[in-house]
Amino acid sequence: MSRRRVVSIFVVAAVALATGFLVAGQAKVQLLTPSNQVARYQALVRSVQELEAGNAASRQKIAALRAQIDGLEAAAAKRSATTQALQGRVGDLRARAGLTQLHGPGVEVDLANGVPGPDTAGVGAYLVNFKDVQDLVNLLFAQGAEGIAVNGQRITPLSYFSGSGNEVTVAQGPPITVPIKVQAVGNRTRMEGALDDPSTLPDIRTREVLYQLQVSFRGSPDISLPAYDSTLDTRHVSPL
Amino acid sequence: MSARSKPRTRTSSRAISVWLIALLVAVVATIQIRSQAEVERSFAGTDTASLAFLIDNLHRANDSLQAETADLTQQEAKLQSGGDSAADQVLTDEANHLRAAEGLVPVHGPGVVLVVSANGLVALDLQDALNNLGIGSAEAIAVNDRRFVVGVPIEQTQAGVTVGGYLVPAPWTISAIGDANRLAQAADLMTQSLRGDRRVRQATYRVEADVVIRAVVSDRPFVYGVAS
Repeated sequence: MSRRRVVSIFVVAAVALATGFLVAGQAKVQLLTPSNQVARYQALVRSVQELEAGNAASRQKIAALRAQIDGLEAAAAKRSATTQALQGRVGDLRARAGLTQLHGPGVEVDLANGVPGPDTAGVGAYLVNFKDVQDLVNLLFAQGAEGIAVNGQRITPLSYFSGSGNEVTVAQGPPITVPIKVQAVGNRTRMEGALDDPSTLPDIRTREVLYQLQVSFRGSPDISLPAYDSTLDTRHVSPL
Repeated sequence: MSARSKPRTRTSSRAISVWLIALLVAVVATIQIRSQAEVERSFAGTDTASLAFLIDNLHRANDSLQAETADLTQQEAKLQSGGDSAADQVLTDEANHLRAAEGLVPVHGPGVVLVVSANGLVALDLQDALNNLGIGSAEAIAVNDRRFVVGVPIEQTQAGVTVGGYLVPAPWTISAIGDANRLAQAADLMTQSLRGDRRVRQATYRVEADVVIRAVVSDRPFVYGVAS
């Protein structure tokens, strides 16, 4: 094959590639209704995506900083008995606050959306919402959970649940969408018993029947929960 | 023979090139469209109000995360520059901070006090109210002088609502410490909504410069879990 031919093939390939990008870009634009509303919607989606990326980066940085601080504290603890005792006490407090990994027996609960019902009164009732997660977490803590994670986000003493529609947010984490997995380490027998009891979680169970909301659970001899990777904000609180 | 087969070979190699280029274009176009569709699919069905809510939440969360990053960076610098005394100071500060967050020590600070007088409110109502205060930045909460942190169960018993196993009969006096402005906004919305509830006789709140919470949560060691 002559050199000129090779060059011409590359030129054709480059032109074809550029055409491909143009066609794809054009198709993307054509697929959407050209209106201000759509543009605004897209801008909002882009904002959420950028903020989510920032959120993930910050949480990664916090986890890395905590690991580095752990290392420095451990080094200091080797040189001083007082520091060692303090480090042990802080280690216990961190574990209880969810700042360290936790493993042990427990349960895993899966929640997923059901199907829309024929009645208009139950609009959205087939969707898993943040209150479902809140109820489930409260039930598991009441039944002997020692640590809980929701889709890999660890619950802490200052966690809260919020959301809108089908989006669930746990404290400062990014929004979670279904399917939702709640993992709990603790008294497996009590937690399984409560999840089996038809009188618990009345709202979820009613919607399970009416809208086929999907709820399932299984016990496990060893479940691992990640450490919390955000902030426990107590800037306004002072000890008495 | 060989003179006739040469143009045929040339033609077939040209056809292959054209097909390869066409394939490449198709693949690139598909990847481009799919990647965009993938990004948009994750928010499919989310209305603009929900997206605005998400943005608001994420902004606030990211501000908190940045503040935490700054605090941790300072701690790290202190540990790197100082000796054992610096390590002791960092550890003591962290222990105090964690004890407050876990509800193990009495605390005080700016906040709000809500009073809800009602007949027939149940555990789920209290759970929702405390969660709303959490969203409103509460850093310490007590109900009728019973300390609440996430992990302390709120249950419905025949005798009424319990917090951590202790009965909390109405009226509920809910004390919350945190950013007073945000807590006031949350309390305002909550009391408005509660006043629309037939079961509620009265729902009021007041902002205080120094709310005191003396109640504490008892320390519960792990029985089943192993921290690592």
